[in-house]
Amino acid sequence: MVPSVSVLSRREAEEITGEALRVLETVGVFFEDKGVERIALEGGGRLKDGRVLIPEDVVKEALRTAPRRIRLYDRDGREVAVLGEGARIFNPGSAAIRILDHGSQTPRNPTLEDLKKLVIVADYLKGLKAQSTALVPFEVPAEVKDAVRLYVVLKYSGKPVVTGAFTVENLPLMVEMLGAVREDYAEKPFAIFDVCPTPPLSWSTVTSRNLVDLARLGVPAEIISMPGLGATSPVTVYGAIIQHHAEVLSGIALSQLVKPGAPVIYGGSPTMIHPYYGTPSITAPEAVLISLAYRDLARYLDLPSHTYMGLSDSKTVDYQAGAETAYTAALAALAGFDVISGAGMLEYESVQSLEKLVLDNEACLIAERLARGVEVDPQALDALKEGVLEKKGNFLALRHTRQHYRSEILVPKVWDLAPRAKSTGVPLAELAHREVERILAEHKPPLLDGDALRRLDAVYSKLWESHGLKPVPPP
Amino acid sequence: MAGDVGELREKLFQAVVEGDEAAAEEYTRRLVERGLGPREIVSEVLVPAMRRVGELYEKGEYFIPELVMSAEAFRRSMEVLRPLIRGQGESPARWVAVFGTVRGDIHELGKNLAAAVFEAEGFHVVDLGVDVPPEKFAEAVEKYNARVVGMSALMTTTMLEQRNVIEELKKRGLRDKVIVIAGGAPVTEEWVREIGADVWGRDAFEAVKIVKRMLGEG
Repeated sequence: MVPSVSVLSRREAEEITGEALRVLETVGVFFEDKGVERIALEGGGRLKDGRVLIPEDVVKEALRTAPRRIRLYDRDGREVAVLGEGARIFNPGSAAIRILDHGSQTPRNPTLEDLKKLVIVADYLKGLKAQSTALVPFEVPAEVKDAVRLYVVLKYSGKPVVTGAFTVENLPLMVEMLGAVREDYAEKPFAIFDVCPTPPLSWSTVTSRNLVDLARLGVPAEIISMPGLGATSPVTVYGAIIQHHAEVLSGIALSQLVKPGAPVIYGGSPTMIHPYYGTPSITAPEAVLISLAYRDLARYLDLPSHTYMGLSDSKTVDYQAGAETAYTAALAALAGFDVISGAGMLEYESVQSLEKLVLDNEACLIAERLARGVEVDPQALDALKEGVLEKKGNFLALRHTRQHYRSEILVPKVWDLAPRAKSTGVPLAELAHREVERILAEHKPPLLDGDALRRLDAVYSKLWESHGLKPVPPP
Repeated sequence: MAGDVGELREKLFQAVVEGDEAAAEEYTRRLVERGLGPREIVSEVLVPAMRRVGELYEKGEYFIPELVMSAEAFRRSMEVLRPLIRGQGESPARWVAVFGTVRGDIHELGKNLAAAVFEAEGFHVVDLGVDVPPEKFAEAVEKYNARVVGMSALMTTTMLEQRNVIEELKKRGLRDKVIVIAGGAPVTEEWVREIGADVWGRDAFEAVKIVKRMLGEG
């Protein structure tokens, strides 16, 4: 008895796939990088007016070879989940360029120290099964920003990590970091790299070459299409879904041309471009509908899926933030996404808040509980009989209650469910702040050590030196 | 005849305000055929039409799609007029503005709109296109003796490139010679202050007003 949210029937998914294939055959894809364009052409694409037209059979062959399931492991090699079966791996949203401090209305530039704190808090929170390179540290030079973020996560948390490179050069070094931590990083993946086509139907040099390198190196790539309704995609949800699908399929085709069997995840971050402000709203109902629809498309193709949900476009940790986060987290979980990125995020994926991360953890746990649905209890009738006939309706005194309530009932820790008499009256944001402080004071993250840390430190130094920079001591 | 011209002027004005590209081109041609000077068409019809578009946006009656369509209609009209203006012997635009989307970003919607609005307000716009590295911005400033640099970014990650453009201008001693506008959906006033740009407009119309004021106009 597992609830599920679905938008497209199988027949509709088939129709939309047909439309997307026609788009790839007639409109095609622009590859900024000529080397990547060559891969697409040698793989069966045809160049027309600077765009590569991708025939249906190339895409279909790619869909045949793309893995249906990806086993995801933690840093220490323990299996965390099988992607492709609705794994619901909530993780913090990635690459925020600002952090909002408790009590402040204005976000500020995040530092490496902030990233370290966020990783430690996320390591503690049970609702988050993975980490992300959630903040872009301000003080780190642009040349090494992407890889330094990964270093911090790998050192301070054992959870798998969702990350991505900002440059072509650093991606191999980031993969080398994975290899330093655990040599079997390809056989037992514990990091996923985001690569985003540029809407509409284009691939920039950085992301397309990242996708090619990831396929070669055997690291899972999460292809994140980002249609912006009415600005960078058709304004109708239907039109944007077709574009989204075509963009992701083009990425899958490219990765499989490089290496058949390369692990790919069907992802996305669709937005509604606000018709007045031009801001990319991620939690708009139209954007959420696109996400739910492409989840059905991924299901139709039997591929692992990813989404940016469980986050907010609000500027602060307020009613809007809670509402947007909770409703999108619940829908993402009920739709059965494998990887769900966004916890802690505000303001169009640009701001992180540790307090919101703690509150979102509860939203993720609630969403997870909802999605688990109703489990059959063979003892239910006996418990009902005993409760009514022997315990006079007092089910609290029942052994059955003792046996099951921890597994059955989710008890939020920070959200205020206390009766008024026991409620402290402290605002929720303040309670979340106290929880952040407590976690930071008490939680001892599983620090990487020994040979693995020495090897990781060596790659860290090499990273800086490869750009002619003097390494800042690792955090 | 004058009545006819008056009616055509009104129709061109409406075509730009309503974002009708084909009509804008047609009425521009017909006005030229009737003998109205290209400079008059720009200053007396197109610029007021784009201002009207700005007012409608200010009032919340127009959204971005309407702005973009009006900018496209304006551009089509200018394609007809630009060669004629050149042919008349140039009285060059007073200021050159260099526009581009920063490195790593290939979105150009906002940049195109800003370029149209600045052109409507009398700037000579040099459009560098998309994925423009900082050096190219700086080179264009030197080459065209530009007074304004407009840099656009749609994504939070590429927004960081805007800082590099300013650094490059500083490196070449150009920073104080130009007014720098940072634009794009994720760009905030605070970000503009932080990276040391000069202008943040909620939209291109506001930005052009601020820039003109800084140049001692308007």
